[in-house]
Amino acid sequence: MKRLQVQVCACNKCIMMGAMEIMENIESLKKLKVQLRLQTQIDLIMDKKICGDLSDDAAPVVIINDEVIEQATPEIVMEKIVKLTQRK
Amino acid sequence: MRGVYTPVTKLRRQVFTEIAKMAYEKKELSYIEQLPYKIIPGEVAKYRDNIFKERAIVGERLRLAMGLPLRPVGEHQPLANGVEDCAKPEIFYQPPLINVIPFACNACPTATVEVSNNCRGCLAHPCESVCPMKAISIVDGRSVIDQEKCVKCGRCIEICPYNAILKYDRPCAAACGVDAIGSDELGRAKIDYDKCVSCGQCLASCPFAAIADKSEIFQLITAINEGNEVIAEIAPAFVGQFGPLATPEKVFEGLKQLGFSDVYEVAIGADLGAVEEAHHFAHKVATGEQKFLATSCCPSWSVMAKTLFPKVADCVSDALTPMVATARIIKKEHPNAKIVFIGPCAAKKLEAQRRTVKSDVDFVITFEELMGMFVAKDIEFGDMEQAEPVNQATGAGRGYACAGGVADAISEAVHDLYPDLDFKVDRAEGLRECRKMMTLANAGKRDGYLLEGMACPGGCIAGAGTILPIKKAQTSVKQFKDKSQMHQAVENPRVPDED
Repeated sequence: MKRLQVQVCACNKCIMMGAMEIMENIESLKKLKVQLRLQTQIDLIMDKKICGDLSDDAAPVVIINDEVIEQATPEIVMEKIVKLTQRK
Repeated sequence: MRGVYTPVTKLRRQVFTEIAKMAYEKKELSYIEQLPYKIIPGEVAKYRDNIFKERAIVGERLRLAMGLPLRPVGEHQPLANGVEDCAKPEIFYQPPLINVIPFACNACPTATVEVSNNCRGCLAHPCESVCPMKAISIVDGRSVIDQEKCVKCGRCIEICPYNAILKYDRPCAAACGVDAIGSDELGRAKIDYDKCVSCGQCLASCPFAAIADKSEIFQLITAINEGNEVIAEIAPAFVGQFGPLATPEKVFEGLKQLGFSDVYEVAIGADLGAVEEAHHFAHKVATGEQKFLATSCCPSWSVMAKTLFPKVADCVSDALTPMVATARIIKKEHPNAKIVFIGPCAAKKLEAQRRTVKSDVDFVITFEELMGMFVAKDIEFGDMEQAEPVNQATGAGRGYACAGGVADAISEAVHDLYPDLDFKVDRAEGLRECRKMMTLANAGKRDGYLLEGMACPGGCIAGAGTILPIKKAQTSVKQFKDKSQMHQAVENPRVPDED
């Protein structure tokens, strides 16, 4: 099975700007495996600050594989994950 | 909208952070005039119909965060009006605590039952048959409700096979368990302060960011900046609130980096309260001297119970709340310290203003406001070394954070101290449910019971000033509880022997 690595920044600013809720939404996608026809395993990591060199306005930051998403929102992140994991 | 991050959440948190930054960086007080432009930059509206209104609303939220009153809409007043008065190291704000920003309110329609486009105009139209008021008729093949006649009993909603009929209430009013939300002459939400118990559920529910409470963060940071000894007491619902890196130990360390000289667990006071209430229950309720014992730790619940049910008001425990009990312990050990309660709750701000509590607790801030302080001060939990384990309270005391936890702690204490005592427990979450429970108790149907009331559905972890989604918070509290080295409230060495 293919794997997708999703990292959510765990710094204070990102938490304040909604990182926990993004995490919740990504976790909720796992429950929609059948409806969304997901065929990739999502490895969700939220254990460190990953927004180090980015500007002050970047929070919250999410990295999907190697793509950095600044000012991430649940809808942007879920859309990207679904696109990358759905069966063609 | 708990657990969902929305633009409303974002604005609220930005306001707290900017006010905390302004205080920590000791900016000129007139700097507040610039903040609406910092929070809402550019020329294009992002959230509402125009950017000027967006900034005006943020301006009012900034004033409330400083502890200032709202400005009258019909009079000219600069945003900074009165800021000099509030720049003090002591509580400044005056009630009302919870405020509707009138021009931010969408004047949502009040409770109504409506037929949606799902109506198929079916042959059976059972909605018409079940309506006791003859308020439903079929017009042009669809159900129509005469709003003058409708009593909103909901029978048509239940019977419709297409789920085509909906009951709707404005979110703030639906969230208010004491029916304190009415309307002003323009149809906008207006709080009846004689009924309001400041639970804050309306402010957490308003989708237009029109309701906010006053904050004390500016005055608190001023007290820290002036070199006062400031000690934090933190409610047990704090675990997990600040993200996965913020272990309880690191939160304590973070608070010290913010300028607090020491940190205590409010669960210590919960342990004391649980044991005191256990003794009270055994001596008064079990003997039939008192009808029942209702817990007192949630101020919104206890105020509601005493106000709406005066006949049984003396059945509400008069034990000190965990906030006050802990504050008194701290004051004994540090007589000159200013004490800050950090919790999930708006109502605690009002409790701290009571005549009997004022000298015990100097400031009250919420977890969301504290998060703003952490961000303003650039404190990162990931950069900290793991500190000394936190071990001041029992698992039972920490369990107060979740609905059911208070009754569990008291029941366990009763079982420990009076093993032969058999009794029943009832509990309710959300003020509406609490009212139902008290109605039964008032009618004599809960005699001999221990009653736990929690104004917020879910308990303190669902308070208006929390950050973490409720389910996650439950898990975090349970883990923290399980980690306790002491389990039952009676094991806490600070619990005094019964006189």
